[in-house]
Amino acid sequence: MEIRPILSALMRSKTGAVLVAVQVAISLAILANALHIVNLRQAIAARPTGVAAENDIFYVNIQSMDKGSHQRQLADQKRQAALLRGLPGVLSVAQTSQAVLSRSGSSTNVSIKRGQPTASATTSMYFTPDSLVKTYGLKLVEGRDFHPDEVLEIDEKVDETFPKVVIVTLAAAQKIWPGESSFVGKTLFNGTGDDDDEMRVIGVVERLQTQVGQVGAQGEHSLILPARMTGSRDSLLYAVRAEPGQRDRLMKEAEQAIRSASSERLLVRTDTLEKHRTSRYRADRGLSWMLIAVSTLLLLVTASGIVGIASLWVTQRRKQIGVRRALGARRVDILRYFLTENFMITSVGVACGVLLALGLNQLLVSQLEMARLPPGYLLAGALVFWLLGVAAVYGPAWRAASISPATATRST
Amino acid sequence: MFRYYFTLGLRSLRRNRALTALMVLTLAVGVAASVSTVTILHAMSGDPLPHKSDRLFVPMIDVVPLKSYVPGAKPTFGQAQLAYIDANNFMASNMGVRRTVMYGVAGPVEPARTDIGAFQAQGLAPTRDFFAMFEVPFLYGQPWSEADDASGADVIVLSRSLAEKLLGTVNPVGRRVTVLGQPYLVSGVLDHWDPVPRIHRIIGSKGAFGTEDEFFIPFASAIRHETRHDGGMACSGVERGPGFQGTLTSDCTWLQFWFEMESAGQRGELQAYLDSYAAEQRKLGRMPRHAPNALYNVKEWMVFLNVVDNDNKLAAWLAFGFLLLCLVNTIGLLLAKFSVRASEVGIRRALGATRRDIFRQFLTETAVIGLAGGVLGLLLAYAALAVVRSQSKELGTVAHMDIPMLLLTFAVSVLAALLAGLLPTWRACQVTPAIQLKSQ
Repeated sequence: MEIRPILSALMRSKTGAVLVAVQVAISLAILANALHIVNLRQAIAARPTGVAAENDIFYVNIQSMDKGSHQRQLADQKRQAALLRGLPGVLSVAQTSQAVLSRSGSSTNVSIKRGQPTASATTSMYFTPDSLVKTYGLKLVEGRDFHPDEVLEIDEKVDETFPKVVIVTLAAAQKIWPGESSFVGKTLFNGTGDDDDEMRVIGVVERLQTQVGQVGAQGEHSLILPARMTGSRDSLLYAVRAEPGQRDRLMKEAEQAIRSASSERLLVRTDTLEKHRTSRYRADRGLSWMLIAVSTLLLLVTASGIVGIASLWVTQRRKQIGVRRALGARRVDILRYFLTENFMITSVGVACGVLLALGLNQLLVSQLEMARLPPGYLLAGALVFWLLGVAAVYGPAWRAASISPATATRST
Repeated sequence: MFRYYFTLGLRSLRRNRALTALMVLTLAVGVAASVSTVTILHAMSGDPLPHKSDRLFVPMIDVVPLKSYVPGAKPTFGQAQLAYIDANNFMASNMGVRRTVMYGVAGPVEPARTDIGAFQAQGLAPTRDFFAMFEVPFLYGQPWSEADDASGADVIVLSRSLAEKLLGTVNPVGRRVTVLGQPYLVSGVLDHWDPVPRIHRIIGSKGAFGTEDEFFIPFASAIRHETRHDGGMACSGVERGPGFQGTLTSDCTWLQFWFEMESAGQRGELQAYLDSYAAEQRKLGRMPRHAPNALYNVKEWMVFLNVVDNDNKLAAWLAFGFLLLCLVNTIGLLLAKFSVRASEVGIRRALGATRRDIFRQFLTETAVIGLAGGVLGLLLAYAALAVVRSQSKELGTVAHMDIPMLLLTFAVSVLAALLAGLLPTWRACQVTPAIQLKSQ
């Protein structure tokens, strides 16, 4: 229909068209990649830890200046746990060696044969003398929780004993024994040496993220081990589950109760799982917001660019438009002329943008270890810019259509 | 003449306010995005000791058992630190002008004042040379003596903020403070010292951009008291006995070591020492992997530990892409603005202005836009950095603008605007006065 005259008009003044197409191309390339990264980061930050009702969990960290003997430390630990358990509103308390997503804790290599050359998996270790399964509200998919008589009391200064039983996460089990579906009763070794400690799997939990919360399956490779340890740790950590809505009140009360129950000077700190989660994903959230801000500005700038150039054309072509109108073109014809012209330019921009986006993504993958861009983002980006183009050009086009044939032919 | 063009430029900008505002804003946003991300990158990859960073070296040897070794693989966390045995041997080696070994410690501080309770503090346990090697400034007193290093004396150097918190603003040298459950004699107080990045101890709980170290105790004292390490330790596949003593005699790696050589040229000498040391240890049955021994100077060490992470690079790249878009946009808008003024150009040309005059006039006008965009971009960048600081403690230490960055902002924005103005200005110069006047 009108494509040929539009094309020949465009060929006569290429600069503006090229500028618009370049803007669309750059914007599309950045937008597609930025949104993809935002989505990936959001998905990572939204992963479940495996802990039920996370916002009801808080931690009490107690450090004493004078630790005393192994026996006294054992008694202190039991007394402190009992004290916390006794607070009204506390549902469950479990001492633990580390907290999920707190980014502080320990990991070990495990194997399924003694002296295996490479480890079967690297797993995070939660040592607990209580029921972390209950306090965290973990879902047991196979087997059972620890019995009290399985909890070892270990003086780490002199004793090298290691727990004999273990609860593993489903992700860890599937990594260690690929292709199998039942894991209870299997044997696992701590380390890859010839005389490493042997553990028997007694339970499998659906999910428990590590203290680091790594990206990928590695983030759920955790072991829970039944042990009460003294000696090498500076402070004691208790995970507490509060009744819904009671967490903040109980945090203050717990700190107060521990302080007043002890005659010596204690260093007591409280923390929440919610805070650990926030700080674990702070960088991801920061990047996401930065990318969202850039993407929004990108669209605004591109739209303003299209409006600017289109306005320029309308001003430049007042006379021609007047002539066309005088020769019988309807308003809708003028409107359609500008919309089609813009659509053609945007399409060229989109085509270049898709290539540019793929190129940029290739660069990000090879230089910055980012993920490959799925084609859906390119399609969505193309759609966004077609719509943006039409929306942006509509105003100037409407003004062009409103030019009356009389005024246009009269002067300039 | 320039002043005349400048006033003309200002007047022309006032004539079409919406368009001018749009151009200035676009330019400002582009400049702000790229300048704030580059500021962060610049600070992250900064060098706190530019005059000596090429002669400070971290030694890397591989004491991890042979199992699962892939020759040629990039060294991992297990090799990035040293075992106690090797650190001690290196300390005794007489290589270079200074040597230091350190590890992070953390624990309770018990103030003598009763109005504040005990609190947690993080510090370092280095040897004496640490202070001279990293040029740590002292407010009062001095580092502990070499005799203190040898005997593991209970002396301590406090950060200024910790000293003021515990003992007020008076000179506290010679007084005692209780840290990690032990009384320590204060030998010195540091002036504010917060290098960015914390090159002396990037591995560890504070990372490259943590807060100040609050106190320093002799390495030997920390070992004597069996002070637990605060930071990472790699023990994979290593035989280890129980307790702290078990760690000391094992091949677990957990210590940070630095050599200071007299010149960067002595690197070869140090490498030769490291190789002969490894050969000697192999005779004793250690280091079965035969992995290459390596030295890292400060810059290489920062690259090895990925101090500038990929997310920050990504942000900077995309911000520059965005700046490019803003430039293309400005070209378009300027083109629109100038072409409307074709008649004005025609009249001026007819009245005797040369093309060169027109070119100068329009370029000056563009520069005015660039200048305005620069000022606004600077304000926006400040705001963006403030937002970053409020969002992230870690990035807070790097999200500060310095004078070179400030100048760069101006240079970038004005240059960007001039660049963007070239094409539209050239087009404006092409106006033929005759045609333009005839069509009036």
